[in-house]
Amino acid sequence: MATQTESRPISTRSRATSEFVAASPRNLTPYYFLAPALIWYLLFLVYPMLSSLYISFFKWDGLSPSKTFVGLANYYRIFFEDDVARLALVNNIIWTVASLVIPTAFGLALALALNRQLRGITIFRTIFYMPGVLPLVAVGLIWSWMYNPHFGAINTVLDAVGLDFLSRGWLSDYQTAFGATFLTNVWAHVGFPMILYLAGLQGIPSDYYEAAALDGANAWQRFWYVTLPGLAETHVIVLSLAVINAFKVFDIIYTMTYGGPGRATQVLGTWMYFQSFQYYNAGYGSAIAWVMAIIVLVMAVPYIRRMSRD
Amino acid sequence: MTKVSGNERAEQALLYLSLSILAVIWLLPFVTVVLSALRSQADLLSGGIFTMPKEIMWSNFEKAWNTGDFSIYFKNSLLLIFMKVPLGILLASLAAYPLAKLHFSLSMPIFIFFLLGLAVPVQVTLQPLLVMMQQLGIANSIFALIPPYVAFGLPFQIFVMRGFFRLIPTELIEAARIDGASELTIFFRIMLPLSVPALATLFIIDTLATWNEFLIALVLISAKESRTVPVGLLQFQGEYSSQYTLLMAGILISITPVVAIFVFLQRYFVAGLTRGALKG
Amino acid sequence: MRSVTGFTAMAAIALLGHGAQAQDIRFFTNFDANAVSNWEPVLEAYQEQNPDSNVELETVAGSGAAIYPDVLRTSMAAGDPPDVFFMWGGEIAGPFIDAGQVMDLAPYYEQYGWEETLTPWTVEAITRNGKVYGVPFNARGMGFFYRTDIFEEHGIEVPTTYEEVENVCRTLKEAGVHCATFGGKFGWHPMRLLDYFLETRCGPELHDELNRLEASWDQPCVVESYTMLKTWVDEDWLMPDFLNISPVDARMPLYLGEAAMIIEGDWFESVARGDGMTTENLDFFVPPTGHEPVRYSAFPQQWMIPAGAENPDASAEFIDFIISPEVQNEFPEPFVASATVGVTPDCEEWPLTCKWREVITSQRAIYPPTDQAFTKELMDSFFEVQAGVISGQTPPKDAAVLMQERAEEWKASKT
Repeated sequence: MATQTESRPISTRSRATSEFVAASPRNLTPYYFLAPALIWYLLFLVYPMLSSLYISFFKWDGLSPSKTFVGLANYYRIFFEDDVARLALVNNIIWTVASLVIPTAFGLALALALNRQLRGITIFRTIFYMPGVLPLVAVGLIWSWMYNPHFGAINTVLDAVGLDFLSRGWLSDYQTAFGATFLTNVWAHVGFPMILYLAGLQGIPSDYYEAAALDGANAWQRFWYVTLPGLAETHVIVLSLAVINAFKVFDIIYTMTYGGPGRATQVLGTWMYFQSFQYYNAGYGSAIAWVMAIIVLVMAVPYIRRMSRD
Repeated sequence: MTKVSGNERAEQALLYLSLSILAVIWLLPFVTVVLSALRSQADLLSGGIFTMPKEIMWSNFEKAWNTGDFSIYFKNSLLLIFMKVPLGILLASLAAYPLAKLHFSLSMPIFIFFLLGLAVPVQVTLQPLLVMMQQLGIANSIFALIPPYVAFGLPFQIFVMRGFFRLIPTELIEAARIDGASELTIFFRIMLPLSVPALATLFIIDTLATWNEFLIALVLISAKESRTVPVGLLQFQGEYSSQYTLLMAGILISITPVVAIFVFLQRYFVAGLTRGALKG
Repeated sequence: MRSVTGFTAMAAIALLGHGAQAQDIRFFTNFDANAVSNWEPVLEAYQEQNPDSNVELETVAGSGAAIYPDVLRTSMAAGDPPDVFFMWGGEIAGPFIDAGQVMDLAPYYEQYGWEETLTPWTVEAITRNGKVYGVPFNARGMGFFYRTDIFEEHGIEVPTTYEEVENVCRTLKEAGVHCATFGGKFGWHPMRLLDYFLETRCGPELHDELNRLEASWDQPCVVESYTMLKTWVDEDWLMPDFLNISPVDARMPLYLGEAAMIIEGDWFESVARGDGMTTENLDFFVPPTGHEPVRYSAFPQQWMIPAGAENPDASAEFIDFIISPEVQNEFPEPFVASATVGVTPDCEEWPLTCKWREVITSQRAIYPPTDQAFTKELMDSFFEVQAGVISGQTPPKDAAVLMQERAEEWKASKT
């Protein structure tokens, strides 16, 4: 984290060289370097994407050689005929809004708490970040065990402290299943905004705080007028990534509830999987995937603008 | 003065206390898994998870490893990492070099074109990928995972490498050019050696990501011989879901490598993630 | 120039992936751990007889018909099907047959004389569109397994009407024991109970029409069936919070004596022993429906050969080996429900399995479990409605309406 203080002067220098190379405009060297990655990317990411756009205009079982052209019918079905798809979309939106608020605010709070030179801080950082490196399948299985109605830690603890009226089948209850999977998501992903905010906090010059203190600002005012504005850049990144990842959610739902109870925890990612790979509706599944892709791409615009800025 | 420092000390104590409570909560899931994995099924059913195991059953791990065929899944995941990670990072570095250091008119559009990949959900490529892998004749083997894994890894890796390359002083490159070095020589002799920290970080991040990936592997692979660790773990859960102690041992087996990598190499890991997300 | 790297890598990948294994027989099943250990000696025997071939057993277990068919379908879509695979009957097998993914096995039936080897009705049960695409190897039936010790302790007799079944549950509830245990995770386990209610309330004829979508689901007997399901939940006759419990885990309360019954099939004696439980305290009864004939839920299981199999002759030879009476009598464990003529389990060793054998071979009328009558897509709607009723989310009346809506949507999307 210490390595990122000095990029500005260097990038000015690099602009100077740019002019040097620009002197030979028909130089193909850049493209030789780009070709392998670009071809790979076009072949295995862009082409399949476009191909699935094409598929989404057809009714196709994903296997047989013949497809039936249906125009926009698959898209119409998502929004006007398939109430499960609409539920999935609503779930995605709830998941996204919750992801914007809960793990990010939590991560910021942790970052503020950990942003000081004290013994043992690294251990806390390690602990809070650790769940984020686990395979999400393992995360899902671990928390299914936590939520197990008969032997799980959560009901055991509730029963032990006399709150046994609260214990329930967390993942089988319509009221709690979605929230329970989301809580798992918070456990797994709070570390990422935390370390991003930690880095952001270290980028705020300490003399700002000193100046504010001299002006008699209290802790809350320092947070509100120095820290938060100082993190503006970080907010864009943290919130954008939260949205992008929230819309892609799949592994945790698939492992923990399989979309149930009933279809209460279906999200677009899982519903697309069910349609394409279980119900033989490859065309419809591709349409759902494209709806996901468009939403995510639109929401990623601020992030990508920020990332591509020099 | 003394009053202030007393206040500070109280504040610090409170901070440590609340962080510790939170840390215990954060560790609780790991603790329950470990406590469950170390006892016999009978012990678990009678004692619950929060008692000390009557007898430590190390044999659970051996049994889970053998009956769950984890050796196959570990072998596949490791083989995949050995092939995919270097290949992906090489391609990304090659592409990042001109994007960082050579000026050409399409530089920014191409960079943005790659960055858009960060937002593409895997789902939107799955069905065609399945068909493509079949045509390439590598469907249902771990080789089928390399093309999409590399492709989906490129955007982030190009971004990080481009950012790092930009920090390398241009004078070095110019000096080499004057000495008559080709761009390829400059790339391999100057850029890559100077980028070891970034490369190391990407290797770690990508190793974890490859180990953890689930959805593509779930769709493209069905044969047991080709399953990766997450798919294999889920399969193991299906087969042994009521043998809780064995299942928990299996979970621990499958997460140990990533936890170890993270704990021992987190310095690089965290630095890389931060730079990757925040810095251009 | 650099782009060559990409293509070379692709070519290398393609070459590596093609490691041909012509002599291998990939034998794809849903066997759980117990079944695998039962099958090992059979496969070893085959290998001994055919030293140049290598049988690779692959399994996807634990979720019943929820995940196994997807994995199979993936392997077929990927152009890398197994050589022999396990399949249920009816609508689970249907899509594979209709998509032309499995071989018509008529020539092999002739070559090996399988018509004589197999019980006739099982062959009939797996026939689709007048053709045999599979080789039946099991005929399975389901009913209420119960703990005889618990029944005895509370003076309970085996019920002979549905009302008596309810009385059993009342008695058990007073004694603090749950009547039955189910695992709702994939839907098909509690489905067995709902199927029983539908059979009881709607009667054989209407039940069949419902399964063929020829009758509307929005009708009184369906509402009554959902109401019965709700009653069983509300009265606490079923183990609570079972919607996310896997069917395998649902056996635990039975083993521990917290619940007295479970709907399972003829395989359950072997399963319970595999789970380390004594089966002396177990018995079963065919659920009383109050209709004539008293039908019970049953289905065949079959071996199939994919249309793209590399060496179908070897696959057929392997099937011939594992269905032959000689082999099955030598290794009885995996074949307790065999469709092969002249194979019976050891009744001393496997009394319940043997008793099931009598039921299954008695030519009693059967009905298929709904998941073999509906396609996966429609089935998941069925499970959705069922879960809504179990959770109290959907009142029985709305459930019947919703199920009919789902059926119509599905019909509309298929035309």
